[in-house]
Amino acid sequence: MDESEDVPKDFIKLKSEKLSVDEVSELVISPYCGAVSLFIGTTRNNFEGKKVIHLEYEAYTSMAETEIKKICRNVREKWPSVKHIAVHHRLGVVPITEASVIIAVSSPHRAESLEAVKYCINTLKASVPIWKKEIYEDEYSWKENKECFWANSEK
Amino acid sequence: QVSVLYFARSAELAGLRSETLSVPRRITALQLWEEIVRVHPRLAVIRDQVIFAVQQEYVLLGDQLLVLQPGDEVAIIPPISGG
Repeated sequence: MDESEDVPKDFIKLKSEKLSVDEVSELVISPYCGAVSLFIGTTRNNFEGKKVIHLEYEAYTSMAETEIKKICRNVREKWPSVKHIAVHHRLGVVPITEASVIIAVSSPHRAESLEAVKYCINTLKASVPIWKKEIYEDEYSWKENKECFWANSEK
Repeated sequence: QVSVLYFARSAELAGLRSETLSVPRRITALQLWEEIVRVHPRLAVIRDQVIFAVQQEYVLLGDQLLVLQPGDEVAIIPPISGG
């Protein structure tokens, strides 16, 4: 067995088409890994009693990809046994219940991939320049992640 | 001459997504913000909620001295909400 043929890879994609869980999990599958952990962020239909019609995402694309690459680098430093990492984020209009982000990580044993997926989504919400607009019936609202250190959560 | 990029709420307030601005080569982040607000006064309302990304590195709106090269990218970054 020559594991050097299965070089660890990062698969990062920002796209406006519907995301596929099958596609993202297949990207990270490796014969040397017994675990693939997955996170799917989906869109809820309500916020503070208001009905959400759909979400719209925009991104500073070049910097978002760079920041996600940094997250992948950090994952590999913290959990060296992690094999492949895939982060797919949707841009543009995302209908209710559809996925806005899918993160998949493979590792030989489950502990590392589970921790790494959690770290990826938490850090993405704190540092990747992507913005979400919630569209309600008669208004809209730019959302602010509580992880974002430059947002004023108390106003 | 730097490229200024506007996103999310800042793009709505400024009314555009990008433009070229002439600014001093050496300028603090806060001074750069003030230059931009001079051109787009409606941005003043979000001053406490935004930071910059200069050449894709986050910079707070403070006294940090920026040394800008022609063609550098400066982005206005409102509070993020990815994921």
